[in-house]
Amino acid sequence: MSKHTLEVLVENSPGVLARVSGLFARRAYNIDALKVGPTENPAISKMEIDVNVEGHALEQVISQLDKLVNVISIKEILPTNVKPAPTDTQPDYQN
Amino acid sequence: MSTPNGTSMSGATSLVKSLEAAGVDVMFGIPGGAILPAYDPIFDSSIRHILVRHEQGAGHAATGYAQVSGRAGVCIATSGPGATNLVTPLADAAMDSVPLVAITGQVPSAAIGTDAFQEADIRGITMPFTKHNYLVTDPADIPRVIAEAFHIATSGRPGPVLVDVAKDALQKETVFNWPTSVSLKGYQPTIAPNAQSISDAAALITQSHRPVFYVGGGIIKANAAKELREIAELLGAPVVTTLMALGSFPHSHPLHMGMPGMHGSVAAVTALQKSDLLITLGARFDDRVTGKLSTFAVNAKVIHCDVDPAEIGKNRFADVPVIGDLKHTLIALIPALKAALAKNRPDLSTWIRQVNNLKSTYPLGYDKPSDGSVSPQYVIERIAKLSAPDSIYVAGVGQHQMWAAQFVPYELPRTWLNSGGLGTMGYSVPAAMGAKVAAPDTTVWSIDGDGCFQMTNQELVTCALNNIPIKVAIINNESLGMVRQWQTLFYEGRYSNTNLESKRVPDFPKLADAMGCVGLSCDRPEDVDKTIEKALAINDQPVVVDFRVHRDAMVWPMVAAGTSNDDIMIAREMAPDWDSQEL
Repeated sequence: MSKHTLEVLVENSPGVLARVSGLFARRAYNIDALKVGPTENPAISKMEIDVNVEGHALEQVISQLDKLVNVISIKEILPTNVKPAPTDTQPDYQN
Repeated sequence: MSTPNGTSMSGATSLVKSLEAAGVDVMFGIPGGAILPAYDPIFDSSIRHILVRHEQGAGHAATGYAQVSGRAGVCIATSGPGATNLVTPLADAAMDSVPLVAITGQVPSAAIGTDAFQEADIRGITMPFTKHNYLVTDPADIPRVIAEAFHIATSGRPGPVLVDVAKDALQKETVFNWPTSVSLKGYQPTIAPNAQSISDAAALITQSHRPVFYVGGGIIKANAAKELREIAELLGAPVVTTLMALGSFPHSHPLHMGMPGMHGSVAAVTALQKSDLLITLGARFDDRVTGKLSTFAVNAKVIHCDVDPAEIGKNRFADVPVIGDLKHTLIALIPALKAALAKNRPDLSTWIRQVNNLKSTYPLGYDKPSDGSVSPQYVIERIAKLSAPDSIYVAGVGQHQMWAAQFVPYELPRTWLNSGGLGTMGYSVPAAMGAKVAAPDTTVWSIDGDGCFQMTNQELVTCALNNIPIKVAIINNESLGMVRQWQTLFYEGRYSNTNLESKRVPDFPKLADAMGCVGLSCDRPEDVDKTIEKALAINDQPVVVDFRVHRDAMVWPMVAAGTSNDDIMIAREMAPDWDSQEL
């Protein structure tokens, strides 16, 4: 098992936290830590999720998360690059 | 006649106008307090609303409609218990990737969260098994949400979408604005496959000497039966069609090895096990197909074509993943494979001879009961023989479902409906109702068990009153037959709570009669044909036939749960004679 941090941009809609946490629970993925906060765009929130999984299972976590309609983008934050990229470099959620 | 944008109306009218704009022609439902405002404009709508007797019936009917028509099925219910009664059909539709839109009323927005009368958090309840769901509290959102719901339900990997609408959002005045297009930042299914993956797939196929097309329900969803036949004949490799894919490849085709899985044919199961390449098309390596996963097709490489990226590598590593709509994938793969085969065509003759040997040595069969009673497999075989070739069969869940999968030779897609993933007993009667609404001129047989039938038969009243003349064959072995089979095999014949006594109570023909249907009964092999012919001759009323069959018939072949496909049994304590097979 290894630790990974995912930065997940989600639509700021009611129930979105339940959708994400429910997915982890029902597919038996473990969350080590979860942080949710706003972005510069009030319609979009940012989650940082620490998961503890094998490499292959990480792909599954990401593909299953990506199926949630309210999930806009997912990227893995590598340990050497703990500082997330500023939101204005992500053109797909600007408007 | 479409409603112009900018027209003022109630949220309820906006909902019904939105459903009309989405192209809905029929929906199944029951009114109640919270959804009541919507039922007023439904009264004037061009949409045919079929008043069912239980919301579960509405959900499965919408599924049957969707599976036959290829369009989204629509069901509608009120808040609380009306909505929770839709839970089973929604879970069922999620497992079998059925495009469904469910509309539910919700208590007024000010009452949400107060444990109000008939309040249930249906959005929360259905999150795990809807593709997406909504709670609408602002009437201005209704057209956009309905347009999104249909787009999500029918595109990519199809699935159910629930739209919960607060009562006050239905009552308030709003302005109707049907969107010209749907744009969802977080939902962009891949349709066209990646060109590199297509050429990788073609290259891998030409290196294989024991390829098999492992075909799942996705091929029917993608309407790609024609392309499947073309690529199968181009390569000349055997084809297995899973429980969800029956009919996508003609049963009578020489390359068809039948259904794989727990009750699959020896030829189909063994073709997968001995393969060196699984050309997987819209299938998901379900445990009922693979048996013990670590022993499944251990020497095979995998090409996995699916519209859902999350299926890639979920259960089995894919050497070549191809993500995209299967029709687009096959249209791209066929010329690529043609070109690759022109340079290097592997010799598959030994492989074809081996699988054909298995197919001829181990055909599906059954023993006639020694006591002269009716065998269930015989009933199903005769129904298929005597009915028109385009007839639709809708099964419940259990032994009769497996026999209907084994003994009806499906030649066409969308002629076989069943609850494959969730295994929902009670699916058959309401799903057959929906199927018949989608194909009113086609014979629709519900092949049901006596256990399943007693879960949802109330929809026969709906069928009788709404001119939906389905035919129901109850395969009455007075038992929860599949559970009883497991008790015979794995619990030393201790038949705990599987005896339904349904040859004593209820009297099925009388029950049918009471519900406005014709009731027939048959308990002698020599009467089977004439009873079926009698049922086939009645087309102005639903017909229910009580086929009183032998109780101890079992479904074979069988790969016991959790064991390897290598341990397939063709009868109790009888494995195929592997030594006589050249494999």
